[in-house]
Amino acid sequence: MLRVRNLRCGYGSLEVIKGVSLHVDEGEIVALIGANGAGKTSLLKAIVGLLPSRHGETQVRGRRVTGQAAWRSVSNSVVLVPEGRQLFGDLTVLENLVVGGYHNPDRDLAIEEVLARFPRLRERAGQLAGTLSGGEQQMLAIGRALAARPRLLLLDEPSMGLAPLLVRYGFEVVRDLKEHGVTVFLVEQNAVAALETADRAYVLETGEITLEGEARDLLHNPEVKRAYLGKGYKEVWE
Amino acid sequence: MSLFDPKHEAMPRDRLEQLQLERLQALLARLRRKVRRHREQISDVHVESLSDLGRLPVTEPEDLLTAFPYGLFALPLREVIRLHSAVGPNGMQLVIGHTRNDLAAWGRLVARQLAAASVSDHDVIQISFEGGDFREAAGYALGAEVIEASVIAEDPRHIEYQLAMLQNYKATVLVTTPTNAFELARLLEARSIDPQSLHLLTVLLSRPVPPEDREALRTGLFAEIRCNFGVKAVLDPGLCVECTEGNLHVNEDRFLVEARDGELLITTLCREAMPLLRYCTRIECEIGREACPCGRTGAILRPGRRLDGQLLVRETPLYASQVQEALARTRAAGHPFRLELSEEHVRVLIPVTSELFSDTMRNLVDLKKEIEAELRSRLGTGAEVQFFSGRE
Repeated sequence: MLRVRNLRCGYGSLEVIKGVSLHVDEGEIVALIGANGAGKTSLLKAIVGLLPSRHGETQVRGRRVTGQAAWRSVSNSVVLVPEGRQLFGDLTVLENLVVGGYHNPDRDLAIEEVLARFPRLRERAGQLAGTLSGGEQQMLAIGRALAARPRLLLLDEPSMGLAPLLVRYGFEVVRDLKEHGVTVFLVEQNAVAALETADRAYVLETGEITLEGEARDLLHNPEVKRAYLGKGYKEVWE
Repeated sequence: MSLFDPKHEAMPRDRLEQLQLERLQALLARLRRKVRRHREQISDVHVESLSDLGRLPVTEPEDLLTAFPYGLFALPLREVIRLHSAVGPNGMQLVIGHTRNDLAAWGRLVARQLAAASVSDHDVIQISFEGGDFREAAGYALGAEVIEASVIAEDPRHIEYQLAMLQNYKATVLVTTPTNAFELARLLEARSIDPQSLHLLTVLLSRPVPPEDREALRTGLFAEIRCNFGVKAVLDPGLCVECTEGNLHVNEDRFLVEARDGELLITTLCREAMPLLRYCTRIECEIGREACPCGRTGAILRPGRRLDGQLLVRETPLYASQVQEALARTRAAGHPFRLELSEEHVRVLIPVTSELFSDTMRNLVDLKKEIEAELRSRLGTGAEVQFFSGRE
């Protein structure tokens, strides 16, 4: 579904992603975990074309998409749910969904499916998005992406700023999306939740992938436990 | 014949190479961060394709000795839950560490090998490694548990007891060394015991044997004979899977293999505790990439002879330098010698010079005993000393 090779990108003279290779197979949930500033969001932006890549190649379903304009990624059935939701706050819930499904000829059906999946959004259909609670905004951000009927959904920090109960609900939604044939690439700081949800995972440290593997294995990896689960030592020689 | 992990064992080559590249890049990032030796060597090296592998520095067995015991570990010892030894250059000891994940992965890799040998949860497995080779036995036990076969958790102390266990437990699979398998076949013949009266279906040998040996064992034990190939300093068993075509497929999702000037080099892609970059195995090999009817896509390994003069005496590795070192502690210090291998032990042939010559037979017998005792205590294997005339 998604294949990235030797991707490099950055801001000005600062190289943030330093030659990353990864892949996401159809039907998988793949997590990317890493600390603040590791480059997770930049990597997602480079994949969809919001940040120009300086080197390397990105392929979606076997087609090279490196350097393509960001809006084209929607036509490739790749949709990003950005960090911090980035909703159109002055538009209603329904209007946000319509914008999300702009390219989708079956938009009305897709929006109906979203409203069926998130009944709370149906209740709030006429309400301005900016007035929704954090959890409702996250539902809307995912719903807006689903209105485009993506085959690959990129989720950037979906649990950020949410109450634990809503975080749990959010990851249940991700698992349910997989059941419905949506491939998910999940970027998260909440390593435990991400690894418990994903099939495979990558660990990003200062712009480099340092670990790759089955998510269940990474949950028991000493480095992951130390860096992201708050257990263990600081130095390798301790 | 079943594939235990078809996703990885039969992964299309282009996807496998993507996975290998990702894992190699992650390995290099870990080595740069965690292992001082590599931090200095590969700080500026970036790999963009698998063909760049040849630009990376190799790890010689001597490097493992220099870093002995834990210098090449990428994690603190507290994360290492299993330590195994391997025989390094000139018989020196090497240490291999495993984390919990390493052991879990090891079990799954050995399970691939067992599944390829048609071992299932219906089987009873006897694991018999003479001399109590705990490392290999532990690897097979891990794999058998993943397959959920019944493991007889006891290493038979002698051949009679082993035969009794095979009969009493109705073992269907025997995992052992070629030496032990031949010994068992000879015992059956000597006792006129019909091998079909045992319940054996498969005998998995710890190392490859020539076709004629395989055939002799197949007849002598009336079971399918399958072979393993491993490198003790890397992983043994678990490196390869022998398919029904008799090809040794490398588990390439976890190991990168190359042949450099005919020598097998191995990179461990996923090992946590002690990753190895381009480890020089001192084993001659050819690597085939042709398609195999079994469906596995992993490279086909054709191992050859040892390149460092290592001998096997009853499955125990032995170097001539070890014999030299042992002789140095006797009255035969500094004398030339020749080694001959027999099935049971190594024969050390020493020319009788004027310094060693004695007109009393007793003196030579005492010297022979002295040297044999020294060899036994230092090599851990039986050795027979023979003197011969210097003119011979």
